[in-house]
Amino acid sequence: MNAGSHSLAHMADKSAATMTKRAHYSPPWADLSIIGVAGSSGSGKSTLSHAIVNKLNLPWVVILSMDSYYKPLDPEASKKAFMNEYDFDSPDAIDFDALLQTLQDLKAGKRAEVPVYSFEKHQRMEETTIIYSPHVLILEGIFALYDPRVMDLMDMRQIYCEADADTCLSRRILRDVRDRGRTVEGCIKQWFGFVKPNYEKYVVPQRNHADIIVPRGIENRVAMTMVTQYIERKLLEKSSHHRAALKSLEAGFESEPLSKRVVILKETSQLCGMNTLIQDIDTSSEDFIFYFDRFSCLLIEQALNNVHFKELTVETSTGIPYHGLTPKGEVSAVLVLRGGATFEAGLRRVIPDCRTGRLLIQNNVRTGEPELHYLKLPKDISKHESVLLLDSQMSSGGSGLMAVQVLVDHGVPQDRIVFATYSAGRVGLHRLTKVFPEIAVVVGNMVSDIEERWVESRYFRC
Amino acid sequence: MASAPGNRPHVGPTQCVGPDYRSESQKPIATVSTEVKYETVTTLPQTPQLIALLTFTVSLTYDDCGYRKIRDRNTERADFIFYSNRIIRLLVEEGLNHLPIVEHTVTTPVGRNYAGLMFQGKICGVSIMRAGEAMEQGLRDCCRSVRIGKILIQRDEETAQPKLFYDKLPEDIAERWVLLLDPMFATGGSAIMAVEVLKSRGVPEERILFLNLIASPEGIGNFATKFPKLRVVTAFVDQGLDSKNYIVPGLGDFGDRFYTM
Repeated sequence: MNAGSHSLAHMADKSAATMTKRAHYSPPWADLSIIGVAGSSGSGKSTLSHAIVNKLNLPWVVILSMDSYYKPLDPEASKKAFMNEYDFDSPDAIDFDALLQTLQDLKAGKRAEVPVYSFEKHQRMEETTIIYSPHVLILEGIFALYDPRVMDLMDMRQIYCEADADTCLSRRILRDVRDRGRTVEGCIKQWFGFVKPNYEKYVVPQRNHADIIVPRGIENRVAMTMVTQYIERKLLEKSSHHRAALKSLEAGFESEPLSKRVVILKETSQLCGMNTLIQDIDTSSEDFIFYFDRFSCLLIEQALNNVHFKELTVETSTGIPYHGLTPKGEVSAVLVLRGGATFEAGLRRVIPDCRTGRLLIQNNVRTGEPELHYLKLPKDISKHESVLLLDSQMSSGGSGLMAVQVLVDHGVPQDRIVFATYSAGRVGLHRLTKVFPEIAVVVGNMVSDIEERWVESRYFRC
Repeated sequence: MASAPGNRPHVGPTQCVGPDYRSESQKPIATVSTEVKYETVTTLPQTPQLIALLTFTVSLTYDDCGYRKIRDRNTERADFIFYSNRIIRLLVEEGLNHLPIVEHTVTTPVGRNYAGLMFQGKICGVSIMRAGEAMEQGLRDCCRSVRIGKILIQRDEETAQPKLFYDKLPEDIAERWVLLLDPMFATGGSAIMAVEVLKSRGVPEERILFLNLIASPEGIGNFATKFPKLRVVTAFVDQGLDSKNYIVPGLGDFGDRFYTM
């Protein structure tokens, strides 16, 4: 599957004219791979999925259980369900449309809300679980390989778990009594009434769609190693694609001037003096923090000049009106951790009650690829008048691109984003403004292109 | 830039304010600092952020939708202190740019060289009591352990002339650069007296920087004639003085609003 076409569709709101000028950046999460794990009830699907995730030990591999997509029951069906007479093991009980929507959203790099289903109440709960930016998603359920529309979205191995019927029944009884508030009699009634007939009718045929058939579930180490190795290889491929794409954005940076929306702080003697103290390796930590806070305060003040203002006439104490300005609306901030947190003191001096989101992006030590590890944003961020995105340094621009993309994915229009950084290189700035030409960028210092991050370790002293 | 003629004293120059990359139509229009032609006077760049801060400072009886705010005086005072402090910090940062420097190259944590500079000479602050003391925090935010002298000047009830009541200045003030602090610069009567005190203690005129928030063209003119080498750094030059010698539009008594109102 070509993931590029998906993220292009994601940016489809842009006019054709700007489209041609705009360089393209596809974040790694717009390139989601889905693995389907199907098999009879009690065959060890979820155990296998969890074992795979544990073995990979990566934050971007998530399990989506099809149990979340049971259709909500009407009162009559609900009554039947409580008497163990409702057929939960038929494909009709599954809301494939909702599942498809979730998978399509995730494929497009958007966040998706997954319904929460209560087995005790036989109902969908009010709350939802939010999934954002996985690179690999394991879809696990008896009918994971049933709907052709869902199958079309899968581009990785499709797994079918097989176990003998006695094992399945006993596992199922244990689970349903322990976790789902059922009785042993009820379980047996369901098994012979629905599970077994449906198994032969609907579940077994999925075997034909599977790439791998895993007998004995978790105990089958060979199959598990095969699957995890396959995923690891796939992730590595994605990461090299991503890095190659980042590299291709460099083209033309030497010949082109920087975007007009890049504002570099005027190098006054005071600023240069502060920089001298900040950059001198021999400056004491105490002085470093003091001068960095002072600098960051000026940087934030400058960043705020790029938010939107409106006219406001006020009455002064002399009774004569003054035609002034006021910010159009709320200005919030998002810190790109850990570097962005160095600006927190400066930010609080300028906007003491500024609402602040955080995201953690780390460069993978092995591949050098930036990776999104953590994300917490104000809920209504898409409605804020401006969002300051803060990071202490920007060299390749990889994490900057990713951070802006996250905000855009959450509905923040580009022209409301002001990216501010203590230092940046031309390549990084060029990449960032090529991909997001409408954002404003405020830079404290221009430095050489590839500079290792040092500000945060100096500021936090570790 | 569309600047209005200055025949009516309360109409200041107006212009579109905002970053260069935005077109005129995208930028809101506001009243900006009145231009003055003295080389010794530095006015802060009229950025939208500065204008918004001034808007908050000159009027706190209206919220940002233009409705009269219903709230107690303490909240109003807290906001006044906060917004004026932010302007003061920008003023101090600008003022410090006028100090002498020498080149100084350092090695950075990543091993490259940074061709930087170092400040030369010692400084001190001198605040004209009481409003000038409101600017001390801003000075301390930039220069941690700076020495601060004080001068108390009051208007003499009988003569209506400013009179020196008290001063306490660093002993070695003659060897220092002096940042003179007083937020409101109307006729400049007390500031002129303060400068004369400093000069009598051996501080040469060219080593004095007078920092203020709002200045009047008259005050600036008086100063430039009397002390042609003294530098003035201000956030905003207002339109003029009214018959009572108050800055127009101005913000009222700064000391009252900061300390007691």
